[in-house]
Amino acid sequence: MTDLITMQNMVKIFPPNVTALDHVSVEFRKGEIHSIVGENGAGKSTLMKVLYGLVPPNDGVITFEGQQIRFHNPGEAIARGIGMVHQEILLISEYTVWENIVLGVEPVLSLGRMDRERARRQVKEKIEEFQFNLDPDVVVNDISVAARQKVEILKLLYRNVSVLILDEPTAVLTPQEIPQLFAELHRLGDNGHTILFVSHRLDEVLELSDRITVMRRGKKIDTVEVGSTSKEDLAHKMVGRDVIFTSRRTPKTPGDSIFKIEGLNFKSAEGRDLLKDINLEVCAGEIVGVAGVEGNGQFELVNTIMGLSEPKSGRILVKGEDITSASILDRRRLVAFVPQDRGKMGSALYASITENASMTHHLLNPSFTRWKGLLMNFHFAGLFTDELQELFSVNMSSKDSPFKSLSGGNQQKVILGRELLLPNPFILLDQPTRGLDVGSIEYVHEQILRMRSEDRAVLLISADLEEIFLLADRILVLSRGTIAGVRRVEDTSVEEIGLLMLQGQKEAV
Amino acid sequence: MIKKILTGLMGIFIALLLGALLMLLQGYNPIETYGALFQFSLFRPGPFATTLKNSVPLILTGLSASIAFASGVVNLGQPGQLLMGALAATLGGIYLDLPAPLMIPVLLLLGMLGGALWAGIAAFLRLAFNMNEFIVTLMLNMIADYFTAWAIAFPFMDKGANSPMTPPVNSSGWIPEVGGVNLSVLIMLIAVAASWFLFNKWRAGYEWRITGQNSLFARLGGCDTNKNFTAVMLVTGALAGLAGCLIILAGPHRFLRGLGANYAWDGIMVAIVANNGIIATLLYGIFFAAIQTGALGMELVTNVPSEISQVLQAVLVLVIVASRGVLETVVDRWDARRRVKEPAT
Repeated sequence: MTDLITMQNMVKIFPPNVTALDHVSVEFRKGEIHSIVGENGAGKSTLMKVLYGLVPPNDGVITFEGQQIRFHNPGEAIARGIGMVHQEILLISEYTVWENIVLGVEPVLSLGRMDRERARRQVKEKIEEFQFNLDPDVVVNDISVAARQKVEILKLLYRNVSVLILDEPTAVLTPQEIPQLFAELHRLGDNGHTILFVSHRLDEVLELSDRITVMRRGKKIDTVEVGSTSKEDLAHKMVGRDVIFTSRRTPKTPGDSIFKIEGLNFKSAEGRDLLKDINLEVCAGEIVGVAGVEGNGQFELVNTIMGLSEPKSGRILVKGEDITSASILDRRRLVAFVPQDRGKMGSALYASITENASMTHHLLNPSFTRWKGLLMNFHFAGLFTDELQELFSVNMSSKDSPFKSLSGGNQQKVILGRELLLPNPFILLDQPTRGLDVGSIEYVHEQILRMRSEDRAVLLISADLEEIFLLADRILVLSRGTIAGVRRVEDTSVEEIGLLMLQGQKEAV
Repeated sequence: MIKKILTGLMGIFIALLLGALLMLLQGYNPIETYGALFQFSLFRPGPFATTLKNSVPLILTGLSASIAFASGVVNLGQPGQLLMGALAATLGGIYLDLPAPLMIPVLLLLGMLGGALWAGIAAFLRLAFNMNEFIVTLMLNMIADYFTAWAIAFPFMDKGANSPMTPPVNSSGWIPEVGGVNLSVLIMLIAVAASWFLFNKWRAGYEWRITGQNSLFARLGGCDTNKNFTAVMLVTGALAGLAGCLIILAGPHRFLRGLGANYAWDGIMVAIVANNGIIATLLYGIFFAAIQTGALGMELVTNVPSEISQVLQAVLVLVIVASRGVLETVVDRWDARRRVKEPAT
């Protein structure tokens, strides 16, 4: 096989001083499925965006079909046959599948009228050609996330791309939906399409790819044939050390009941039931995992626990204290909270690391203030931040630099440290490892298990089943705002939980 | 920090160059004009004292806007709060007659109270009815404008005057000059220092700053964001009120029609140029006051109309605000290019 695309000595520096790509050279062959793996911030997405014309490189040479190229925008890339599907799905939800697909390149009749018949027929032909099992006439709003992803891919195929870049496409899929996507990708590969697959999930990559390129900290570490590598080998290359994949959870009998939700209901402003009759309990020294496809009530559950929205009925209790309508500050005396969106809920990006680490502590721990709470004691806050850095091995240059200067993993460590160092009996974790790299995830998991051994009650909301199975004692499945099932982790399987997750979901079309 | 000062100075330099270009197009000698402008504002003791005095309301309203904006509170009511503060201090000065060491602090407090209460209305409407303070403070400006115009034309008008104005405040409330510098400058500096301390060292200031950046984070962290909002409104209202009070006590000693017309809007402009920094507000406030003050002297010795100072101000605002991002990007890009050239490691 010949090299279809070569990228030589690619350099990209994001101001002020983040070297996203450090002289990366890589070749992609025609018709192969080539995965690019790496931790977050390894530069894999940047490399693809450079190829696609979304990010201008500072240096380096790209060739495509033997010719030197450089795309200045995605339009030029698509015109040459290179297309990219992003993590976020960008479709018009009120339009039908075929309307979304032809949007921007509609076949026209005279006077600029759109040839709807021809457009629809062409889309239908494409669907049949690639056996995508998709109805061109349904409105995007009514189809599953997996189906929307197919629409995104078809959009590119309709534009006759020969190279497809997929950026973490499985992040939004349930375990049942992934094999189907892979089957389709294999079919495309057999068809002569080249597929570049960005991921950090090693199992998937091993299953799907022909070749795998591993990146670490902006550098290419290696490109390997799939037959000559293993998960452990890839993880080692990715992280630079050995990673343990098995759970270190030790058997433990849960203690007293700490956190309890009784008959919780929540309706949207339009009166839709978003949470229906939720009952759950978390005991001391127990981790309860909440599994479910995103958008099935997790957001509302977190908001009602934290006091951002008021439930219609039901009670929330921590250590017997009813906090259903307590102030946020009163909740925070009992609840430690790690939000899923670091930037939106968990930090002030331009404030210093110390200032971010002091939040909530400054209200609960008198040492953080002087003069009866009037003045901040930034000296003590600084010592606390040093301690946090030590305990949670945060990699930072100065505690006075802006929070933004930390990498994602280190930001999460600071937030996690801040919350876990609160003496609160109950810990609410909302996607605590989202967007983190393997090394950081391993670390966060360790800390969560430590909380369990300290007899704290942990409620872990996660879209990542692997994570839930690794950590949780009990698994609770949330589907369309109701609890579809509760299982002890020893008595269930990923398949069973996956089925429960899909119960009551819109059918994949 | 050094980068900030550097980009600020570069911005000023570029703006002055552009201003010079405009003067050349009009047929004026820019060097002579700038010379006169700064002679009559910064480089002679007398004019410099005047510049400082003129900078007081500019800096205080700028400070008010800076603190509000940096705390995520859109208080655009400085013009109204300034007028209400001025009116409160004037009335106190007319009807009270205390010895000066007592009189002046009382009138300062009255002025701050006037501004704070006026801002408090907007805070109340926000908390009680969720009315956006942005629009409410703007509307309150109009009400304050006409209310004070009515107050000085009818109930509190000086019977001996032939245009709307109040009688002068009792002379014990006049702020004296020491060595040619009006003591209102000292009061302003104290207010700046106190604000800096409040904003950077107090627990409340910490919560305000965090709220200004990410109010949801502050709220989830347990901060009482409603209480903080009210406090910011009251404090920034008090600062604008203090500005109005000092205009009266340092200058005409009575409330005249059209008093402090543009000070508050110019102050908001200073806050924007200063990117809501407290020290930067102080420095830019003095600089803008210098341009306004020097313009009059410049008109005396050159043919250049004093309106050129407004053009210059506008250019300064645009260049400094626009170049802030650009200049930093230029520096960053240059840095990136340098690093690309380094050999692969």
